[in-house]
Amino acid sequence: MRRARTFDWWHTGMAWILILVGSGCGSNESTTGPPPPPPPSPPSVNSLVVAAGDGQVGTVAAGLTEPLTVRVEDTSGQPVSGVSVSWSVVAGGGTLSSVASSSDASGLAAVSYTMGTTAGTQRVRASIAGTSTTATFTVTARAGPPATLAVLAGNDQAGPTGAALPVAYRIRVDDQYGNVVEGATVAWTVVKGGGSVAAASSVTDAAGAASVIHTLGPQGGGQLVDAAVQGTAVSPVRFHATARSAFAITGGGSNVAERFGSDLWIHGGYGYSGTWGNRNGTPGNAVKIWQLDPSGAPTLIDSVVTAGISTVSDVEVSADGSVLMFSAEGGPNAGLYIYRLTDPRSPTLVDRALVSTGLHTATFGYIGGNTYAFAAKNPGSPALLIYQIDATGPNPITLVSTTPIPPAYGIHDTFVRDGIAVVSAWDTGVILYDVGNGLRGGTTSTPLEISRIATANGNSHNAWWFHNPNTGERRYLFVGEEGPGVVGGAASGDIHVVDVSALSSPREVATFSVAGAGTHNFWMDEQAEVLYAAYYNAGIVAIDVSGDLSGDLTIREIARIQPGGTGNTFTWGVQLYQGSVYAVDMLSGFWQLSRP
Amino acid sequence: MNPVHATVDPVPGGGSLSEFRLARPTVAVEAGVLGDKLRLRSAVIFEGWTMSDGELSLGAFGEGFVDRRHPHTYVHELMLSADDLLGSLDGGARVSLAVGKGFVAFGTDDPMSRPALRFPVNHHWSQVLERAVATVGAKVGPVAVEGSLFNGDEPEEPGQWPRIGNRFGDSRALRVTVFPATGIELQGSHAVVASPEQREGAGPDQFKWSASARWARPIAGRPAYALMEWARTSELDGAFVFSTFLAEGQYRIGRHRMYYQFERTERPEEERQLDLFRTVRPHHDDNLLGVTRWTIHTVGYGANISQWAGVRLEPFAELSLGRVSRIGAGLFDPEAFYGRRSLTSLSVGARLAWASAGGMEHRMGRYGVVAMPRHSGTHDH
Repeated sequence: MRRARTFDWWHTGMAWILILVGSGCGSNESTTGPPPPPPPSPPSVNSLVVAAGDGQVGTVAAGLTEPLTVRVEDTSGQPVSGVSVSWSVVAGGGTLSSVASSSDASGLAAVSYTMGTTAGTQRVRASIAGTSTTATFTVTARAGPPATLAVLAGNDQAGPTGAALPVAYRIRVDDQYGNVVEGATVAWTVVKGGGSVAAASSVTDAAGAASVIHTLGPQGGGQLVDAAVQGTAVSPVRFHATARSAFAITGGGSNVAERFGSDLWIHGGYGYSGTWGNRNGTPGNAVKIWQLDPSGAPTLIDSVVTAGISTVSDVEVSADGSVLMFSAEGGPNAGLYIYRLTDPRSPTLVDRALVSTGLHTATFGYIGGNTYAFAAKNPGSPALLIYQIDATGPNPITLVSTTPIPPAYGIHDTFVRDGIAVVSAWDTGVILYDVGNGLRGGTTSTPLEISRIATANGNSHNAWWFHNPNTGERRYLFVGEEGPGVVGGAASGDIHVVDVSALSSPREVATFSVAGAGTHNFWMDEQAEVLYAAYYNAGIVAIDVSGDLSGDLTIREIARIQPGGTGNTFTWGVQLYQGSVYAVDMLSGFWQLSRP
Repeated sequence: MNPVHATVDPVPGGGSLSEFRLARPTVAVEAGVLGDKLRLRSAVIFEGWTMSDGELSLGAFGEGFVDRRHPHTYVHELMLSADDLLGSLDGGARVSLAVGKGFVAFGTDDPMSRPALRFPVNHHWSQVLERAVATVGAKVGPVAVEGSLFNGDEPEEPGQWPRIGNRFGDSRALRVTVFPATGIELQGSHAVVASPEQREGAGPDQFKWSASARWARPIAGRPAYALMEWARTSELDGAFVFSTFLAEGQYRIGRHRMYYQFERTERPEEERQLDLFRTVRPHHDDNLLGVTRWTIHTVGYGANISQWAGVRLEPFAELSLGRVSRIGAGLFDPEAFYGRRSLTSLSVGARLAWASAGGMEHRMGRYGVVAMPRHSGTHDH
């Protein structure tokens, strides 16, 4: 117990005044009657003594268990009652039950104290008004229970499969007021990728931090580790890493020597690939038909050659495998062609719709039980042409609507999903049309624009709307930019990631680039959250698109391959099918690869 | 007009090709009033009728044609110019204004008014023509400065007019010409041409530079002409840069003229249509298939055999020997495409012209302060 000793000038002065008055007036009193009884003396206080509650340890924002108590004593150390004691918080920002209390018969005065929200030392002072007599209480506030987890280091690294990441995952645990929490047990759990962590749990240090090393699993792609505070409902945080791997060539290549390759589609064990331009006098007027073998090289079994065209620019097989469709450019017979695949080895021409300026691409869309082809009429008065396709009916190809596209290099490709047609319209950007989604009331006969976005650098060439089956999100639209290039030699253009969680207000959030190369057509392994991009002179690039995407995604490259080798690679299209990656390279032909 | 039989070997796809064309059927009118202070220059060319699929021409390209020279638009030139606008107010200087459809103040003379029949490969690097253009010129002493505003879009077919309504003024040019002595010109010019190959204006802009020296004065008492030019065009922030150097000369002895031309020009190789002499127009992406360099020597001889005043009938023969090489990577392999890298062309024909008032072939594209006076007799080639 401490005692605060001070000289009480007020009470000492009053005593002297009373002495003087008594001595000066005594004669008068003696002459006027008996003296009155002396007035009661004010308490003579010498000190405030901390009686209880000092040195307590509590939790931020919580009341202390024991009241803060002082004892008022006079000069002889006897308790003084009826003295008003003032209380104030001098450090820590807590609150008092009262700012003043009176000493009781034992000389004790007390208040309750609730800690402030900042962890550390807090102080409360007791004083008697009009005097300099004080007493100070010092208590310690500890952090509250864990409330949040924050990532300090280690997120979004990349490394080879099976390797330990160079930087440890490091988190900090805070209470709800932002005080670091020491001693919390953090559990580390591998969520995806099959890797391991150096410890299943670790305890936060004085800085509230805990860390662990992540060794990547054997599968290339996104790998995830969750950190959670044991015994709490605090939301865990997720660490993301990209495991780098490699493609391997299963077979193919050097198998379309007379023509340049273009697009491809794989279905039912057969592949169909287009041809492009003019190679040494031979026009790209053929669709190549391949028999596939998951374990071996694709075998060319036939070609469909169309007179009066110079490019087969897009190839697709309907979802039920019954119809082969391709678009054609560069000649009097340019337009849309559909073939019946009763025998997938030998397509049978059903119908064609000629378009004098040619069709750059054609994509199937399935809306309201009907099958449509979304075709890009380009160049010259560019437009989105929507045809209804009924290969078995009397009118196999019926033009349903023509939607003009701004002539800023026009329309290049269309991606159709959920009744929304995503039109890649070069420098105009990406235009989203409701063609049966219901959002705007559009139909295939009357497409209605939902929104548009011009991604950085323009040159919007193709798109893929990612529906993530693992999270249910339909948040990201990947947009390919086809920048200036020399076909067969050099290319440029990045992949732009657009957040379309609000379809009416898309916004670009991330970019992926490969130095000295340019992207072309996409395919996605949505389950594995991997985007496969044909990347012209860079070949084929696999990109980890798991988790949140923002900023520069370059570190997320999983694998890259130039199937034809340096100087002989200019890859147009890619498709994943039953575990194999198939690609058409303009220079080196049709390839089958194992995915990374 | 020039009835011409031309043979080029090889042509796209290999082998040789010969054909007859009536090239440059032109009606040109030049008139002036107010002491020629107000002048009209017009040239109507009917190549859209006589050679709608172009003219075989070694290395030529432009306006959707390749390995053929495109036909010009019917109204090749229709320019009204007002010269010496300020009279004596500008002292010894002259200020002029020229408006209409014609040549931009950039680069060198139209190949139509130069010695060789074959259009040089660099035509689209060294001249900007058939635009709606307004050119202001000023000449002080031996220095002339011209500035042009015009539409960037080039025509795609003979009947097409410039997109005046929405594109006039999107492009500009500045040319400085120095005349140190009679018949000698030194020229430097720069032009920014907006989307020349995509009429809607969405294509890449071209940044062009040109420098040249021209001689047109007698040597040993006989008309002589020489030209050296360099030009450079850059597109897509320098992604594609094309350069050219050309030198040519002509010497006349009586009715005979002999000429020689050398050029080394880089050319873009674009996606061709089923017709290998045509490329896709309008552009819908920014890709080339490669870049080639054309090195061509051309020699020619002509003799005016006309005995009638105002009529020129000049049989001629012109031989070009060239070599094409690939620059950098790309799908386009000239050796595979043509069958070999060395190329030849032989043209035999006649230049036939008639002029009612002394002129023969005026220097197209020269307006206002840089125009030659009419009837000046300086048509030296």
